[in-house]
Amino acid sequence: MPMLERADWYDIARDTNWTPKYVSQEALFPDVMTGAQGVPMAQWQSYDEPYKTSYPEYVRVQREKDAGAYSVKAALERSNIFASADPGWHSILKAHYGSLAVGEYAAMSGEARMVRFGQAPGMRNMATFGMLDENRHAQLQLYYPHDLVSKDRQFDWAQKAYHTNEWAAIAVRHTLDDLFMARSATETAIMLTFAFETGFTNMQFLGLAADAAETGDYTFASLVSSIQTDESRHAQIGGPALEVLIANGRKAEAQKLVDVAIARTWRLFAILTGPSMDYYTPIEHRKQSFKEFMQEWIVGQFERSLIELGLDLPWYWDKMIAEFEFQHHAYHLGLWFWRKTLWWNPAAAVTPECRAWLEEKYPGWNDTFGKCWDVITDNLLAGREDLTHPETLPVLCNMSQIPICAIPGNGWNVKDYPLDYEGRTYHFNSEIDRWVFEQDPVRYRDHMSLVDRFLAGEIQPPTLAGALAYMGLSPAEMGDDAHKYAWADAFRPDPLAKSAA
Amino acid sequence: MALFPVISNFQYDFVLQLVPVDTDNTMDEVAAAAAHHSVGRRVAAQPGKIVRVRRQGGADFFPRAMRLGETDIKPMETLEFIFCEA
Ligand SMILES: [Fe+2]
Ligand SMILES: [Fe+2]
Repeated sequence: MPMLERADWYDIARDTNWTPKYVSQEALFPDVMTGAQGVPMAQWQSYDEPYKTSYPEYVRVQREKDAGAYSVKAALERSNIFASADPGWHSILKAHYGSLAVGEYAAMSGEARMVRFGQAPGMRNMATFGMLDENRHAQLQLYYPHDLVSKDRQFDWAQKAYHTNEWAAIAVRHTLDDLFMARSATETAIMLTFAFETGFTNMQFLGLAADAAETGDYTFASLVSSIQTDESRHAQIGGPALEVLIANGRKAEAQKLVDVAIARTWRLFAILTGPSMDYYTPIEHRKQSFKEFMQEWIVGQFERSLIELGLDLPWYWDKMIAEFEFQHHAYHLGLWFWRKTLWWNPAAAVTPECRAWLEEKYPGWNDTFGKCWDVITDNLLAGREDLTHPETLPVLCNMSQIPICAIPGNGWNVKDYPLDYEGRTYHFNSEIDRWVFEQDPVRYRDHMSLVDRFLAGEIQPPTLAGALAYMGLSPAEMGDDAHKYAWADAFRPDPLAKSAA
Repeated sequence: MALFPVISNFQYDFVLQLVPVDTDNTMDEVAAAAAHHSVGRRVAAQPGKIVRVRRQGGADFFPRAMRLGETDIKPMETLEFIFCEA
């Protein structure tokens, strides 16, 4: 019997709308869960997913992808690639796994909400595959690092990070909760798949796969490319949802969701991808600076997709682009200085050669961030490592949960952006973070940053050591300089002085 | 006498920091407490200069001998610490 082409039956087969008899439409699809913004179900019929696949096709392709990734892993199991890679590369892997693996599991729940409450049959169908994708991503990214725990127990944080009160883990959780764990189906489509995935993670995974191949870590390269092919498919759920909202007079609402989601996503990228690209990646493997990457992919590509959909650029677009120059340098300095609070070992990457690269990519770096690193370097050369550690907590942004920081030295522009709301003062890193809070204060007001908890007496004893214990970091897991300060030796004037110090 | 947390925004440093001080502290003592977490760690010392305290965005410095308890500074207010001629 001849088989029909997919295009001949797909629309009918995936159209699972029906008229409920036993409950009302509103009870079946409450607006709080659908996020349809009052756009009636009939209007959602025009939702047209750009990527169409059937269940048998999906299973066949996914099976091949899994087999491919696992066979590369098995083939390279006994190779020496991991041991011979630069410690900076290990740090990229640890930061990546810990901040994302369990987040993928959470994303499965976000996709499931679209499966159940999506207003368009096409959205529900694509999200079904998206849900299975995210399950696969969680499993892969928990399994791969598990093998590395015996070599280096910081890899245990792939499993552990989300279950602790470590500050970077709180920052990631707070953001992902906001983007998709505590959002309706339509909001998840826009904030998770359109803003977070199309705008950022899809690019991030492409870039990571290339870096891994360049470093010789083919296991990770094949893992990440395998995930990225899923990502580029299910990231397309949001676009048609935006089209439906805009066509039905909900552009302002759609724009706000996009603006909030990009603002939040940008912070995570700046703190995770920024230091990875400009510092942790050994200089000989760097192809682009983080700023160049953001200019090309986010400004160049994503800006175009916003305009094509009929959206405006977020009001803060120029401010965000200005941050490409400095925010991740500040985050890097903070990560390194408070390195004992991390589950990875940040690579300082400020040798004379690295500083020349930074100065070339970011003119003025030596006169600003370089000034802080000068003091740090001098302390290390003088045998005063103790002064390269903090004795207090940084103040955390009440939106991003990341230290409030900016340009030091001769470009000093650090500033608090406070807001008084219902008797409490909130502190923010920028006008953008404060604006996000103001869009929905009730949503955000009760969250306590780690510093708020410290001041409320929730962290005992109220010392830096007490804070480290609260964050769940055992002494063997706490971060340290990735290269054990070897980089500072390059600044010693006389090579003979090395042994004397 | 009461423990009093303020936020230090120290000139030439890159980050806001929590600094616990006391209502009995003078502004010079508050400045010294803030300097402990910035100067010599990420900010170079400036011998011969003193550090003065003002509100974020404020034009005037608080008098050096004024006690924190005598000012209208609120707990967890962001203060700027600026190098000045002695
Ligand atoms: Fe994923
Ligand atoms: Fe995804």
